[in-house]
Amino acid sequence: MRKKNIYSAILRYFANSPIAGPLLTFVLVFIIFLIFVPNFASWRTISGIITAVSISGFVTMGITILMIAGEFDLSVAPMIAMSGYLFGTISTGADSVIVNTLLKIGLPVEGGNPGLAIFAALLVPSIMGSINGLLLVFTKIPSFIVTLGTRQIFRGVVWIVAGGVLFQTIEKLPIYEVFNGRFDMVNKLSFLEGANFRTAMFWMVGAAILFEFILVRTRFGNHIFAVGGGEGAANAQGVRVNRTRVMAFILNGFLAGMAGIISFSQFRSVRVAEQAGIELTAIAASVVGGALMTGGYGSVWGAIIGILIINMLRSGVILLKVPFISADNFPAVVGVTIIAAVIINNYLRNRSTS
Amino acid sequence: MIGGETVMSQEIGQPVVEMKNIVKRFGTVEALRGVDFTVEKGKVHALIGDNGAGKSTLIKVLTGVHTPSSGEIYFEGKKVTISSPADARALGIETCYQDLALIPLMSIWRNFFLGREIYTNLGPVKWLHRQEMQRLCCDALSDIGIEIRSARDKVGKMSGGERQSIAIGRAIYFGAKLLILDEPTSALSVAETRKVLNYIENAKAQGLPVILITHNVSHIYLVSDYYTIIRQGCKVGTYQKGELTQEDIADLITGTREA
Repeated sequence: MRKKNIYSAILRYFANSPIAGPLLTFVLVFIIFLIFVPNFASWRTISGIITAVSISGFVTMGITILMIAGEFDLSVAPMIAMSGYLFGTISTGADSVIVNTLLKIGLPVEGGNPGLAIFAALLVPSIMGSINGLLLVFTKIPSFIVTLGTRQIFRGVVWIVAGGVLFQTIEKLPIYEVFNGRFDMVNKLSFLEGANFRTAMFWMVGAAILFEFILVRTRFGNHIFAVGGGEGAANAQGVRVNRTRVMAFILNGFLAGMAGIISFSQFRSVRVAEQAGIELTAIAASVVGGALMTGGYGSVWGAIIGILIINMLRSGVILLKVPFISADNFPAVVGVTIIAAVIINNYLRNRSTS
Repeated sequence: MIGGETVMSQEIGQPVVEMKNIVKRFGTVEALRGVDFTVEKGKVHALIGDNGAGKSTLIKVLTGVHTPSSGEIYFEGKKVTISSPADARALGIETCYQDLALIPLMSIWRNFFLGREIYTNLGPVKWLHRQEMQRLCCDALSDIGIEIRSARDKVGKMSGGERQSIAIGRAIYFGAKLLILDEPTSALSVAETRKVLNYIENAKAQGLPVILITHNVSHIYLVSDYYTIIRQGCKVGTYQKGELTQEDIADLITGTREA
């Protein structure tokens, strides 16, 4: 009897939480693959999924925060590319448009400056985010249109900054190992056969904890939900709606900057069209993760589970070797998942909110 | 503790707000043609008129949404200029609009304290005192006779009457000096309406003056101390409780009968 009460209390807690839907979808997909895909629960597969999620996870968190505030951003990919170029060139001090310009204004980037590289790679995308936010607030153009425009403009700026060329390095700086190196200490453990974990997962989990706290336990987070859930009511209660919106865009830019650093640290290369199309994956993951396009609802953990579901599907479907659904035809599966997940999410959300 | 000062019995009847000869033109249209409107401490004052009669315009002048073309507003005896909703709020005028009062996807306590959160500054971070706000929210609502199951329930789960009650409870808790309710009972069942009227009575008992805006006389007839009737931008008159029957009021609203 008592045990039953504990179960029902846990069930009620999850049913009222925004991660209920995503968690259910996650478990369903996982069980299906566990049954049908041989060796799905291998360390190789699991570590592969987690590594893929470590880059897109940052973007999904940013998009989820924006969606909770009732906005979204299609210009994330050029922000990641910008971050990658800044981080890559400044950390190595390689002969490039960025490094030569910084040398001209007298900054100590000769031979590489990892500290300045991190600073620039986080600051510039944050500024790009603030441009999106300010354009939205001052022109009152919906974020879809504003960021559709800035997506092209930012890509143009990245092209100029990059000199139109790919940047890559063969240097193996310790800073790359810190952000996204092989986690050999763990991978070599005998019971983790085939594992290929990378350090980026700690950065992502750290960011998730940080942003979950910001959203749920700070006044700013409270205002993000309020602005997305009811702009008029928030305004009437004295919430500074526009400032909150711009801040959400800045956070999104910052997270895109993190994604750029993590991505460059892994591949040690960056191109102008880096991560093109990631914004749609991130929006899909946010929606699968329980965020509402109309704003006011969602969670950081939901975002992480959402992007995990999408990457788990990618690995699982490829391993399933279904005819016609190869790695190239994988988006069709994402389409099915988005719709199925949203049906589950809507059902559970309506039970707890109306 | 309930915020705001307790109103002394001798203060009841003192005017909180006096609006004098308010004119509001939109282009060539005269929405208000010199309306006087006074609300006294500890009284419930119904502002009644048909759709488009000018009652909303008058309230929007009072809450800073519209600037009057001419006329004067006195708040607690002092002449004031209210040029934004923030000005009105700073004076202690709380307005509960039908749809704009609360955010359905947020919990009760988050709605209750929205914009007035209790927090600690940790550097740039404003860390919310969640437990304290949940407790204070429950206490404040139960003080005016509203029992909720949990402050963490979403507002969207509540009925229309319960939502009104939370907006009213919030206004009282934060020491409003004047509470304006826009069509508080229009979407409610009979039982719900009765509850909301009870909360209005409780607000009045705590000395808070209330303006009820409505075109439905039957709901607010019993709870109101005064009725001001507006028709076509002009004030028809202000009447005390018991001076008019419900039929009289209906006739004055529609203009079937002249004052």
